[in-house]
Amino acid sequence: MSAKSKGGTPAGGSNLRLFYGTLAAIAVIGIGWIAWSASGRGTPAVAPIDLSGIDDPQALLQQARGMQLGPDAAPVPILVFSDFTCPGCMAFAQYIEPQIKAEFVNDGRVRYVYYDFPLGGDAGHRHGFLASRAARCAADQGKFWEYHDVLFARQGEWASARNAPVSLLMDYAGMLALDESAFESCLKSDTHADVVTANKILGERLGVGATPTVFIGSRSIPAGLSYEEVRSLIQRELGEAGS
Amino acid sequence: MEAGPAAGAEPAATPVNRMGMAVLSLGGLLVSAYLLLFKLGIIETVVCGTGDCDVVQTSKWSDFLGLPVPLWGVVGYSLILGAALRGTRPGRGADRALAGFLFAASTGAFLFSIYLSVLEEFVIGAWCRWCVGSAAIATLLLVFSIPELRRVRAR
Repeated sequence: MSAKSKGGTPAGGSNLRLFYGTLAAIAVIGIGWIAWSASGRGTPAVAPIDLSGIDDPQALLQQARGMQLGPDAAPVPILVFSDFTCPGCMAFAQYIEPQIKAEFVNDGRVRYVYYDFPLGGDAGHRHGFLASRAARCAADQGKFWEYHDVLFARQGEWASARNAPVSLLMDYAGMLALDESAFESCLKSDTHADVVTANKILGERLGVGATPTVFIGSRSIPAGLSYEEVRSLIQRELGEAGS
Repeated sequence: MEAGPAAGAEPAATPVNRMGMAVLSLGGLLVSAYLLLFKLGIIETVVCGTGDCDVVQTSKWSDFLGLPVPLWGVVGYSLILGAALRGTRPGRGADRALAGFLFAASTGAFLFSIYLSVLEEFVIGAWCRWCVGSAAIATLLLVFSIPELRRVRAR
């Protein structure tokens, strides 16, 4: 090949065409990948979704599902509306909840039910919905409560992340020896977004405005009670129930 | 190894190493742009496999001189890409200033990658797969820029 062709193309012109073709292909693939990522497809649901027919109380009760400890027939229900990003919920989960389980749930006198109430909004609570979904993905593999404990224990690590802490939530699944592939498929989808949304709406209908909000029987208890105070309220409910 | 041009002569063919640098810097630019969009919250989640991209990208070390590290990557790789493309045009083979810039910019990118890798290993304690990819690109850029030294020295 001559140094220059008739059209002034330098020697190696075919190489240049290959070069520019390669550059264009890389650019198209790369920009396409980035655009696909930015579109939100293939990424997890991180906020409540629209639920049709949820104004109907029956429909809401069918969709809302708490995670339960203790028998259905237990005389006293305790309903806890909680957000995994909330420090008060962490304190309740780490100090009050284990004692309730040990003293009242394990012997079948109390049915303890955890409902998601992701606060959303500002940076400190924005990942609550995703965390609730992650815990439900763990529940699919029978480890809701273990995952719940890890989320609260490591709240400072993931809750304040600027972006959705997907890889951290994946790491926690690995720590609990969950099937990581199944967990990832669940997390990076909208699986359980309906239940978590319904749980939050249920809380709102019950007047929940902050977390944790705890109902012992039909009564909402004040925030910040000690375990001794909570215990006396439970015992009062048990007395009224005749147990 | 590429043969250097004769004194005063201009190579007719496009320097192959600059083609390689253009391809590499385009890859680096795309990686940096992806991480920048994640850092800005435009991309909600970053595909990271088993790495800890969240930890790295949200650590206090993810800013450098007040600007997001991926933004530095976008600027740096864009400059290298522009220079490498300019260097593939006819008549630019013996451009000493261009050769000097390509070598200096590649060296800077490599040193910055070492700095970031040290932070990941010894300070943050977490690795981001995309950052490792960028560091590999910067290393290859430095290797590909070695022939530029000969062009800088040519009279």
